[in-house]
Amino acid sequence: MSQVEVFNGNLAAAHAARLSRPEVIAAYPITPQTPVVEYLTQFHADGLLDCQMTEAESEHGAMSILSGASLTGVRCYTATSSQGLALMYEPYFRASTLRLPIVMNIVNREMISPQTVWGGPQDSLTLRDAGWIQLYVEDNQEILDTTIQAFKIAEHPEVLLPVNVCYDGFYLSHMSERVELPTLAEVDGFLPPYSSRHIILDPDHPMAVDPLTNGRLLMGYRRKHMEAQAAALRVIEQVDSEYSDRFGRSWGGLVGEYCAQDADYLMISLGSVCGALRECVDEFRSRGLRVGLLKIRSLRPFPRERVIRALDGKKGFGVIDRNVSFGTNTGILYQEIRAALYSASKRYPAAAFIGGLGGEDLTLEIVERAIDATMASVDAGEVAEAATWLIRPEKRGNS
Amino acid sequence: MEKDYIAPVGEGLYIARTGDWRTRRPQLDQASCRRCGICLMYCPVNSIVRSEAGEYSIDYEFCKGCGICSVECPAKSISMHAAVRA
Amino acid sequence: MTLIDKLANREDLISPGISACVGCNVELTLRTVLKILGPNTVLAVPPGCMGGVGVVGWDKKAGAKIPVFFPLLDNVASMLAGIRLGFNARGRDAHVVAFAGDGATVDAGFQALSGAAERGDRILYICYDNEGYMNTGYQRSSSTSKGSWTSTTPVSREGKGGKAQHRKDFPLIMALHDLPYVATASPAFIPDLVRKVERAMEVRDGLAYIHIYNPCPTGWSFKAEDSIAISRLSVKSRFFPLWESRGRKLTITVREQRPVPVADYVAKIGKFRHLGPEGIAELQALTDERYRYLEAMEKSGAGGDGTGA
Repeated sequence: MSQVEVFNGNLAAAHAARLSRPEVIAAYPITPQTPVVEYLTQFHADGLLDCQMTEAESEHGAMSILSGASLTGVRCYTATSSQGLALMYEPYFRASTLRLPIVMNIVNREMISPQTVWGGPQDSLTLRDAGWIQLYVEDNQEILDTTIQAFKIAEHPEVLLPVNVCYDGFYLSHMSERVELPTLAEVDGFLPPYSSRHIILDPDHPMAVDPLTNGRLLMGYRRKHMEAQAAALRVIEQVDSEYSDRFGRSWGGLVGEYCAQDADYLMISLGSVCGALRECVDEFRSRGLRVGLLKIRSLRPFPRERVIRALDGKKGFGVIDRNVSFGTNTGILYQEIRAALYSASKRYPAAAFIGGLGGEDLTLEIVERAIDATMASVDAGEVAEAATWLIRPEKRGNS
Repeated sequence: MEKDYIAPVGEGLYIARTGDWRTRRPQLDQASCRRCGICLMYCPVNSIVRSEAGEYSIDYEFCKGCGICSVECPAKSISMHAAVRA
Repeated sequence: MTLIDKLANREDLISPGISACVGCNVELTLRTVLKILGPNTVLAVPPGCMGGVGVVGWDKKAGAKIPVFFPLLDNVASMLAGIRLGFNARGRDAHVVAFAGDGATVDAGFQALSGAAERGDRILYICYDNEGYMNTGYQRSSSTSKGSWTSTTPVSREGKGGKAQHRKDFPLIMALHDLPYVATASPAFIPDLVRKVERAMEVRDGLAYIHIYNPCPTGWSFKAEDSIAISRLSVKSRFFPLWESRGRKLTITVREQRPVPVADYVAKIGKFRHLGPEGIAELQALTDERYRYLEAMEKSGAGGDGTGA
């Protein structure tokens, strides 16, 4: 039986990892991910987590250790943030191209400069083309549920790719919420032990891993990697539905929808800002305005068909990005949505927003302003070519 | 048929025909050979063979003709000769 | 079994045909080491000469008969640490071994190696040091000797130039991690090398490190057939002394009571051709100073095995 607990996001992630029985964990602490490492080492010390655990000398080391461990065919877990993710880019790209089903939570934190430790998904979004599956979640229950699901998605024989479950630094990582904690036995029933031999270092079955490879063969591996991402579109939905059957919670698979069916205006985002958007949708609905929310859960693979289906019958949409895509005048998610809609039957009016960078608060008031602006520009039939910046007015009395 | 891997792996040996590189060919004089094994110890390509009777010979299949055996042989039993294409 | 028996009878675990240069003593070192390690071994060969000549493999073929892989240039020790953890998790045992060049070891991979050494990860790390990035045409590394020509420390028409700094004393840096076993070795001293590999294989309580000095005929410019003779001179001149340590107990394993002058050693090597008497005297002074330091360490014994016990 599940137990109701009060967990911050990092503790939810640590419990999810513990319940998934990883065999090797290697991590390096970085704000705001640090408590995940502390919780896991404490679980380990207390005998609640039976695995090989090691303290890496850097994030580059952590991902490298896990790459080696995964090559022996064992289940691996880690977590990181921001600069740590940037430092591990080299083994990060390689973990996906070696098809190693490692699971890593990314506690989203803004990239420097300027010097900052606060939230924002610029870190992981920038790496969306590195071959990993990237899932984004909104609250602490979703962190726990999705992290457990991530192992099943990663290790699925048609997928065999590493998975990131990304959640906002501080807003989720350090905020406590009600979380239902399943038992180890329940999770065991959902998640079988990992075994795979598609790439393995084993003296009983000698194999060369990653020989020098010609371009033609390399292109074949890339194509299979693409096909695995495509297969993940189906697997992510399947796993969500199976999880829901067992644990009674579905997060919608590739996307989450709120009041979206009959909406005229669809607001689109990812991560914890979707919480604020839900509240605002309620507020607009109470005034008779048909506003809905589309939450992108899976950024890679990108759920093009579900986005097109969700927009069917809508007047238009607005995207709130907590990141920038330099050289495009907009955020990354807006670019992704627009690209997906190229194959839609209709050209939708669209509004683009950038806000909430570097932990900056996206207050209900600011989000409401963005919805107002979306409705106005959609009604005017405009398609934004540049984002509107959601910035709070400077406080009076500041020095 | 070739195996269709999803990840970059290799099975079975890749073998470069390094014997074709040889411009000089070592020749071992059995009469003066002291059977010390120094040539076997220092051959980078593992091309010196010792028989059960303890006799040494050169396997030319992969020998690159570096001449280390000739320099190191304490009995000066290995001489280098211009390689001739068969 | 004599050493020659071992070398004659044990299986060569590397492909019989790899594209190492003619006279490459790294190829000799690798084949010898693998005969000693045997088939229950996982081998990491990062980018460098041995990776480049096909020891990991080409396309869908392998370059060795044992599990072999390319780590990144800078994560050799980390990946091996992970392999050890994976084996531990499944209750397996095997030799987990790096065969890495000096670039992957003393430069880009040092952080990973130092981390694994400090953690006490049970891996055997072998560095083949040919004083630079040879498979890309010889660029300098922090293991390149002072005065040496490399393609990135060129020599002018007037004969000026070469590397401006002395090489890191890397094996000593590793020994000062208080490792259970550290050794230096040479392809010219195979019995010494084999004994050291066998000792390193027995280590259970941490990282074992062997630093092998491999003069390179192609990069350094000397005749292929002199590959072993020049390696021998590097030891006989005390330019690269052979020793081993457990914790801080250090022992010189090959003693040259009447060392050959460093001048006689560098004279045979093309990359030092431009060096005048001053440059050579500086290499001699460094050689003497480092050897005195080793002798002092050996003499002091530092009292223990580095565990503080």
